This record gives sequence, structure tokens and C-alpha cells, in this order.
Amino acid sequence: MRTVLIAAMAYALASIAPATALARPTIEELKARRVLDDYESNVVYGYNIVMETQRYAPRYTGNRLRCTSCHLNAGTQPDAFPLNVAGIYPKWRAKNGVRNGIGLRIRDCFLYSLNGVMPPEEAPEVLAVAAYIHYLSEGEVIGRTPDHWGVPTLPDTNVEPNPARGGEVFQRNCAACHGKDGAGTGPFPPLWGPDSYSAGAGFNSIPKTAGFIWANMPPGGPRLTHQQANDVAAFLNLQLRPFDPREGKLKKLFERIVHALSAAWAGDKP
Amino acid sequence: MSARKGWGALLREALPDFSWRGKVDVRRESLAGLAGAVLVIPQAITFAYLVGLPPEYGLYCAVFVAFIASLFGNSAMVGGPNTAVSILLSVTVLQYAGRGSPLYIEYVLILSLMVGVIQLGIWLFRGASLFRYFSPAAITGIKAGVGILLITSALEGALGLAPLSARFFYEKFLVAAGGWNEFVSPCALLVSGITIASGLLMKRRWPRMYIVGAVVVGSIAGLAIVGWRGPVDSQIELLGHVLLKPFPLMWPHMGPEHWVIVEGMFPNAVAIAVLGLAQSLVIARDLNAGATVNLHKETFAQGLSNLLSPFFSTFAGSGSFNRTSVAAQMGACTPLSGMVSAVAVAVIACLLGPFFTYLPMPAIAGVLALVGIGMIQWKEARPLLRERIDGAVYVLTLLAVTLLGLEVGIMVAAGLSVAFFMASVSRVELQIVREGPGERIAVTGNLFYASLDHLSAHLRQGPAATTLLDLSRVPYCDASAKALFESIRRERMLHGGKLEVVPA
Repeated sequence: MRTVLIAAMAYALASIAPATALARPTIEELKARRVLDDYESNVVYGYNIVMETQRYAPRYTGNRLRCTSCHLNAGTQPDAFPLNVAGIYPKWRAKNGVRNGIGLRIRDCFLYSLNGVMPPEEAPEVLAVAAYIHYLSEGEVIGRTPDHWGVPTLPDTNVEPNPARGGEVFQRNCAACHGKDGAGTGPFPPLWGPDSYSAGAGFNSIPKTAGFIWANMPPGGPRLTHQQANDVAAFLNLQLRPFDPREGKLKKLFERIVHALSAAWAGDKP
Repeated sequence: MSARKGWGALLREALPDFSWRGKVDVRRESLAGLAGAVLVIPQAITFAYLVGLPPEYGLYCAVFVAFIASLFGNSAMVGGPNTAVSILLSVTVLQYAGRGSPLYIEYVLILSLMVGVIQLGIWLFRGASLFRYFSPAAITGIKAGVGILLITSALEGALGLAPLSARFFYEKFLVAAGGWNEFVSPCALLVSGITIASGLLMKRRWPRMYIVGAVVVGSIAGLAIVGWRGPVDSQIELLGHVLLKPFPLMWPHMGPEHWVIVEGMFPNAVAIAVLGLAQSLVIARDLNAGATVNLHKETFAQGLSNLLSPFFSTFAGSGSFNRTSVAAQMGACTPLSGMVSAVAVAVIACLLGPFFTYLPMPAIAGVLALVGIGMIQWKEARPLLRERIDGAVYVLTLLAVTLLGLEVGIMVAAGLSVAFFMASVSRVELQIVREGPGERIAVTGNLFYASLDHLSAHLRQGPAATTLLDLSRVPYCDASAKALFESIRRERMLHGGKLEVVPA
């Protein structure tokens, strides 16, 4: 009964807000509202996590990447791993060999791409990101892969990817934002080193990275050729980055401790 | 009940007094405080998990709520996060928002504020005196019931059953037993088992600090497993980064739109306020048996600390049985130990912060179980079970808490306390002596509407008899008793009998 009342109040307040053509309110509209229901507040929270992962989900984040570093424009940009994918989960994934719900998929991102700690199944951060993904997926057909899902697969160029040439392309086209040492500058994410994605991340595969680079990088500038994108991807794949968390034998733990100590030595937060 | 004292006395109660200054042994109090700080840190993280909030909130509770409660209180009671209060906070807010979501945190803070306001109201109306009637058997029963609830939620944590919801506590275990291989992660269960076993082994040797030892052993075991098999294969969840701020000041989000929530949560807020105070006041009373402890002042301190808790981004707490008893064993007898403990928690937690990241959640579940096992104290229950009434109160409260939920259990406990108190008050002794043709009845006890049955049945047996009723040992005789005597006197006059009353 109470929840009905709250919902009614929220609805009444929502109907005062100017009507828009979209059935779903934008994030800005949600943020401007005085009263949000549980779902809407989770959507906003999820959006905040996607945009500022270090600030809103520091507990499980292990590097300086944000969700939106790969899922560009808060997961709304096509061909850049858009997040309107609620309709295709649960599905089987080769990565872990089990049926993955959207929750497990998000937790995997924290573990591999954010090189952090795998959040528990019922962690509020995971549920909030799931709510945001659900919100983005409005209008999609359940079970059908959305258009421009993931990244495009590049055609075979019949030439092996060449990391050395890729390095040159990187220094010429990418280093201005991502830094000569790949450590990132300002809002541009680090591409390798201890603060980037781990060796177990989905991004650590040449075809995926090449597709992402070709479709989205450099933003606003002229596209690289397919071959250049392949070369840069091969170059990135060779760089040092955190270990794959699936590797045990105290390797990952040791790396974490070294990383934490060096960060403490440098005087900033781990 | 309301001994009007005037505003001056109220104000004196509401300000921190340092009357204990003169008799304080700073070294002993500081040592007790330090021990309390080490003890509270694993509990704070665990109880925050119990409330459904991030671990920072629990640590802030052990710092700020505990500090304010000690500063304004006048006993060596140690405040901070409390099991029963934590369970009730989570049960109440879960009706309105998903566990841990932004709204959930908002509502927990509002609920804590409400608890503080209600407790201050109880202080203003001198309600602390009422808690004298809360039967110790009921408190022991609630404690044991909370212990069982803790053990079940620890099992849920260890088996990974938390997302399941069930009406009764045992249903989840039936599910787990049915789908054993699907639900249970062997590594997580192993870490919980190691934590509990090491705690139980160490309990003999170090009865005060065994929980800390168990956390250390469990964490090392958990980390070794995670490190060796990798976080994916071992399936052990870790706590994650804990980011503490020295002064987590905040203004809780409140407005007229929260009125519906406030109204809905009100009954449970009253239950939490009563439960928190009942525990705190029982502790304070037991601590300073005979000494001058002002229960009203203690009530104010509890109310104020809970009222201010949301502004320090934390939740409501109350006095803690186990931490207070450790402090008392180490010789603490003034609020100084509580204040030292709060400051020490802040310092230790900030230093240890980076290590908390790798605290395995199954070890935390193990702590929950150990705290639960510690709360079911057979030593306390045995003397109660020998008494008929105390035993009944204990068993009924325990059953109500475990089967019907904590909030119902508190109401049952309060009701039973009052009922048995009434029953004992309304017992009247009749001494009947034959004196020649008539009889003489000496009455001992209070005569009021609830205690008249026996006497009236006796008097109505012989309408023609002559009776002298001696009320000299009756402290209180209400109007219905007087009306009864009058009607019997008339009846006897009709039948030739006589009733003479010797008033007190």
C-alpha cells in the first residue's frame, strides 16, 4: 500500500514535469526530480557509476578506467560496446563457460576490465548498473542482438598485424591524448600499465580492440585504415598490464600488494 | 513517575558532565578503550553488512555514535553498532527500497534520526523508569533469539543464500540442502569454517579477544586460498576498498516527500528506540549496581547519539553487551574508556584501511556466527529456566524472536514483562483465623480490580457469616475493592451476617 502511495506521488510529480516526446525521461530529467522511486534512483546511481566509476564505485575498482572509457558516451554510442543489451541476457559465454545473467556480466567487468575486486551478487553497485542497462535497453527486442552491438568486425586485410608499425601509428595519432607512455591524460584513459585493464579483459584481444579503434578512434578525426587499426591493436596487446585474475599461485595477490605499496609510496590513494 | 525537576535539572542532564574526573585511572581506562577498539572493528564491518550498508558506515558508527554516547553518558557502557538494532533497521527499510540502493541508505539515515527523536522524547517524559519493568529474562531471551538470527544470517553469508528471500529462517536452509552442489562454494564454506573453528578454539584461551584472533586467522586462510587459486576459481568475495574520511559530515536528504516513509516506519522506529534503550539501560544498570548511575542521563546520551548519527553518515546504535563486559573486565568504570575506544577506532581503521580490501566476506560471515554463538549464553539461561515464570518469559521471547521476527519479539517481550509483573503485583495473601463464631481475615498485598477474585469468592461463600477484614497490611485499596466490600456488607445484612472492615 505504501509503495503504491509513493509510486503515485512520484507519478504525480513526474506528470508536472514538461512532457517530452521520449517515453523514458532523460538522466538530466531524472536528476532534476525531487522524488525518485527505487528503480529510478538506481538508474541515476548506475549512470553515475558508469560516468565516474572511481567516485561512485570505489569499493570494487582497481584502476583508473571508467565504464565510459570503453562504453563511450555512457554506453549510448553505437559500435562502442553500447549498453542497451539487457534483452540478450542471460546467455552462455565462452569466457567463463556458464550461463551469464546481466549481473555476472557486470561483475566480470569489475574483475577483468577494471582490474578490481569482484563485487558480490547483490552488491548495490551491480544492481544499479543493471538498472541503468535496463533503462538504456527500453524499446529493444528481447532475445535479438541490438543493431551496432559490440564493435564491428574488421575484414581480413591478408597482412599480419604488425606491432612495430602500430607503435608508430600510436605515437602519431593517439599519444596526444593517451600519452606517449600510454598512461592517459585527464579524461583520456590509460591504455596499459598498472592503471589500465588487465590481461584477462575482453579488450585484450586484437580483433575487438582493432574494431573499437577503427570505429571510434580518434574521436572526430579521420579514421585509421583497417590495417592501421590492426597494427595499433597488436601494439597495445604487447604492452605490460595487470595479470589475468584467473591466474592463481599468489601472482595476482603479489601484484596487488606491490601496486598498493608503490601507490602509497607515491603518496596517492591505491 | 514524573518527578518534575524543572528545566535546570533537565539541562544539567543534557550537558556532558565530567563528574568522573576525580576518580579516573587514565591508564586503565585507556587500555580498556584500546581493547574495545580492536574488538569493535570486525564487529562494525560485520554489523554494517547486517544493516545492508557499506562497511564505512559501521566504522563511523563505532567512532561517532560511540563517542557521543560516552561523552554525554555517565557510565562505562560502550555504545556503537548493535546486532539487534542493526537487524531491525534492515528489516524496516527493506520494505521500501532494495538493499543498499541509494534510497535505502537515505531511509536508513532517516530511520536513525527518528529513533533518536523518539529516544529523546522518552527521556523528556522520564521514560527510563519504565525500563525497570523490562524483565531480565525477556532481555536474555531477545539476546538468545538475536544470536540465532545472527547464526542463520551467517550461514546465509557462508552459503551465499543472501539473495534468496524466505518467510521463515529455516526455509533457506531447506533450499540449500536441496541444491547443495549448485549453491555452495566449497572455498567460501572452508574459510567460514576455519574462522568459526579457530574462534571457538581460541575462546577458551582468550575469552575477550577471540573474535579478533578468528578474523585474523580466517583472513589469512581466505587470502591464501584466493591467492593460490585466483579470485575466479576460488569464488571468494572480498570486502573491496574501504574509503574512510576523518570527518564524514553530511546533511541527510530530507523533505516533505519523505512523510509517507516516516509514517510507515514509525512503529518499527518505536520498536528500535525501545529495544536500544532497553539494552543500554540494562547494561548501565548491571554495570553500576548500587552506584549512582543516572539512567535518564544515559537515555539522553543514547537519544542524542542516534539523533546525530545521520549527520556523521552512519546509522543508529545502542549499548553493546559484549564490548561493555570486556571493558568492565579490564577495569573501566568511567565514560573515558568509551571515548578513548572511539578515537582509537578512527586511528586504527584509517591505518588498516588498505588491508580491509582483502578481507574475505566468508570470514565476516564467520564473525557473525561467532558473535551469535556468544549471545546464546547457557550460563545466563540456566538459572532462568529453573524459575517457572522467568523460564516461560525466556522461552516465549526466544520463540517469538526466532519464528515471528525481532520486531514482534520485542512486543512479546514487553507484553510478557508487563503481564508477569501485573500477575506478581496482583497476588494477595489471605490469612484466615477462626475467632469464636466468626473469622478474621488479614490481607497482605494490593487490593485492586485485578486482585479481588480470590477474596470476593471467599467472602461470598457464607452470606450469613461474620467476618473481620483486617486491611492494615494493604498499601493500596482502589475504588472497585471498596465497592465490593460495600455490596458484600449489604448482602450480609440481608442474610444476618456481618462484615467489618479495619482500614489501613
